[in-house]
Amino acid sequence: MTEEQKIQHLYWRAGFGLSPTAFQKKRKQPLNKIIKDLFKDAKKIQPVQRPDYNIPSWDVLKVMSKEDRLKKTREIQKLTPEINLNWVRQMTSDDYSCLQEKMTLFWHGHFACESKRFDYAASQINSIRQDALGNFRDLVLAISKDTSMILYLNNQQNKKNKPNENYARELMELFTIGRGNYTEQDIKEAARAFTGWFSDRGTGEFKFTERQHDAGSKTFMGKTGNWNGDDIIDLILDRKETATFLATKVYRYFVNEKVKDENVALLANILYQSNYNIGTMMQTLFESDWFYAKENVGVKIKSPIELLVGMGKVLNLQFGNAKSVLFPQKYLGQILFKPPNVAGWPGGKTWIDNSTLMLRMNFAAVVFQRVELALELKDEPEEPKSRQLKNLDISGDIVALTKAFSKVKLANLGLELEAYLLQTPFRTQDSFIETLAKEADTSEGQIKAYVLGLMSLPEYQVC
Amino acid sequence: MKHISRRKFVKQSSFATAGTLLLPRFLNAFDQHSIQKNKNRKLVVVQFSGGNDGLNAIVPYTNDVYYKSRPSIAVPPNKVLKANDTLGFNPKLKVLQNLYDSGDVCIINNIGYPDPDRSHFRSMDIWHTASASNEFLSTGWLGRYLDGNCEDCQNPHHAIEVNDSLSLALKGAQMNGFAMKNPAQLKNTTRSKIVQAVAQHHHDHEHEENVAYLYKTLANTIASADYIYEKSKIYTSKVAYPKGKLGKELKQVAELIISEADTQIYYVTLNGFDTHNNQVNTQERLLQGYSEAMSAFVKDLKENDKWDDTLVMTFSEFGRRVAENGSRGTDHGAGNNLYLMGGKLKKQGFYNEGPDLINLEKGDVKYTVDFRNVYSTILKDWLKTEDQVVLRKTFKSLGFI
Repeated sequence: MTEEQKIQHLYWRAGFGLSPTAFQKKRKQPLNKIIKDLFKDAKKIQPVQRPDYNIPSWDVLKVMSKEDRLKKTREIQKLTPEINLNWVRQMTSDDYSCLQEKMTLFWHGHFACESKRFDYAASQINSIRQDALGNFRDLVLAISKDTSMILYLNNQQNKKNKPNENYARELMELFTIGRGNYTEQDIKEAARAFTGWFSDRGTGEFKFTERQHDAGSKTFMGKTGNWNGDDIIDLILDRKETATFLATKVYRYFVNEKVKDENVALLANILYQSNYNIGTMMQTLFESDWFYAKENVGVKIKSPIELLVGMGKVLNLQFGNAKSVLFPQKYLGQILFKPPNVAGWPGGKTWIDNSTLMLRMNFAAVVFQRVELALELKDEPEEPKSRQLKNLDISGDIVALTKAFSKVKLANLGLELEAYLLQTPFRTQDSFIETLAKEADTSEGQIKAYVLGLMSLPEYQVC
Repeated sequence: MKHISRRKFVKQSSFATAGTLLLPRFLNAFDQHSIQKNKNRKLVVVQFSGGNDGLNAIVPYTNDVYYKSRPSIAVPPNKVLKANDTLGFNPKLKVLQNLYDSGDVCIINNIGYPDPDRSHFRSMDIWHTASASNEFLSTGWLGRYLDGNCEDCQNPHHAIEVNDSLSLALKGAQMNGFAMKNPAQLKNTTRSKIVQAVAQHHHDHEHEENVAYLYKTLANTIASADYIYEKSKIYTSKVAYPKGKLGKELKQVAELIISEADTQIYYVTLNGFDTHNNQVNTQERLLQGYSEAMSAFVKDLKENDKWDDTLVMTFSEFGRRVAENGSRGTDHGAGNNLYLMGGKLKKQGFYNEGPDLINLEKGDVKYTVDFRNVYSTILKDWLKTEDQVVLRKTFKSLGFI
């Protein structure tokens, strides 16, 4: 493993791969400096911007006719993909911290939740962002008070004497401690502790409603007291199993789906001993030798967002409107703010079946068509047949790419581009990609042919 | 790290006999496979995701406990489509009433499993993998059927899930079902020159496991895409299916069955049954959609003489709590009901009595029939395979088919 390969591996896991410009800049830097810079850059919180739309206050809304109010609500709901767009733009741009974006994406999948309104989506993703490398206790508390989540898991209906268990169950099963570490009775008691944790329908903000809160005595995980939601979270985090559950999830996402118990135990210890400091755990992970072991490189199937954003970085893709990010996400099976269920996207091989694989392999050709990178080759990529993909408002260029590889000899171009684009070897030499590339007359044409070919490979689907 | 060489998986795959990735020879191979026994017997699985409230679907309309437990969401007796003296159908489930009258449905009450799990994902996994509630399996029951317990399962489209992605139920250790939302879209995606070039590009070096998996999936997909597309063009249904996802998907299934495609198992899903809140409208809209789509499907197959070769199983991961919650909905429960439909049922109507609403388990209907007995009956009596190999245990046949 060369230092350069380690840097690329780090950027794929702590971000979405390197843009050609960043690749040139970073490839010769020492790894420990790069890691420090990643965490330094992530300190400045850069929230996703909201679209320009004035949501009327509840006082205005409540005097409207039912129809007008519904119309307003629909307008607000229709703008949710704008948050998706702004976020994807941020992930793709080098002006934002890739680590902050990646951590936010990770927690978005962990606290999987469908957001129906743009304001709720924005406020959820920005509050996740705030604590994405901070303290997990703050993060889980923020999520417990988040409007999208309260609505998604029915805590709005969790009332004194009429508890609704949905949030309490998922909090333990999926968000913190994991199955097998609590009883059905614990769920019932936790649900009582979260009664009255509502969202204010006027402001869309958290509102504790005391008269709907069950302040009575509860016995949770063997401890009795007049617990409220904060206490329940504390009691769950006191258990070491919670740190192990989270470390396992982090390991599977950032390192390898195949878990190595000793590495997870190390991460869990650090998380627990640091009082759930996520950043401390993540820095340890990226500084560990085992993170760069061959068995952990190029073995993760990219999520659709990783694929899309990764291509975006290479080809300087500019997404023109919400549809231009929404359609690829839909086709590839991962729509932000719309996970399949509260367990999130299962990832790994589940991204792939016969149909999504075809879409992935064709996606590079679709993008090349859209950004008018079409090649003058005998073997031209097929025009996308789908109208929606055909009309995608995506632009891009290979200016930075050409610049980054301008000094490479033609004979080495295939090898160098392969090393930049693939995390697992393909052997471009003597392959059909080389045949395609050699048909081009110019070095720019050759670069295009190599990039399109390499991005269409099964090997490009892993990082 | 486990390496699988490309050459090795090509050899291991069903295409070894064809020896090449060129399409026409695959098609020949498939056509040969199709002359096999039981090839005409189809299984269609309809999954209600989210936990369908069985008590408001098959209504115990003479049971006081039912009405007392559900003051705001119970189906009133005068609206129930009455089947016998104690049970009737939700007014939106007309298809069940019609099939009940014609002897084409068998309804199993109180279906479930010991130590029920009330998490959607876990309970769905239990149904998909046919595991016990404390046992974790990574392969599905239909996937294991494909794995070697059926003689003509070698083609990748032997089991089709009409969906963007594949459910655990259809994932085996060696074989997988085939996810396909639409034959034309699938075919189109395999035609690009680059995809064809990648597929024909042979490498001798070892692949990392995930990359090997991608290459294998690619080879299988190209092989099946044209076949399914050609079959899908043979027959276009003349029956009017309702708009909406399920109608569209069942129409596609009917067209493939009627065209005698070499596919034995079809899997479709209807989402949205997690009715914690204002249940009645949501559930009835879903049941109505199901009823209309299924009615069209049955009509289509009957008119084309395929109904006797078809068995449809409709299930959900759990039933819902007997008592309604505070928001005119129901929380996750346990025992439920399951519908089997087909032209060759040996047991018709209600397989067993309705739920006992006095003796509950944590507020939920207790199971009296294990769903794995239904699977075993389907495997043994319909698909004619060794059920205990697939289920890893012996479950007595219920004799409904």
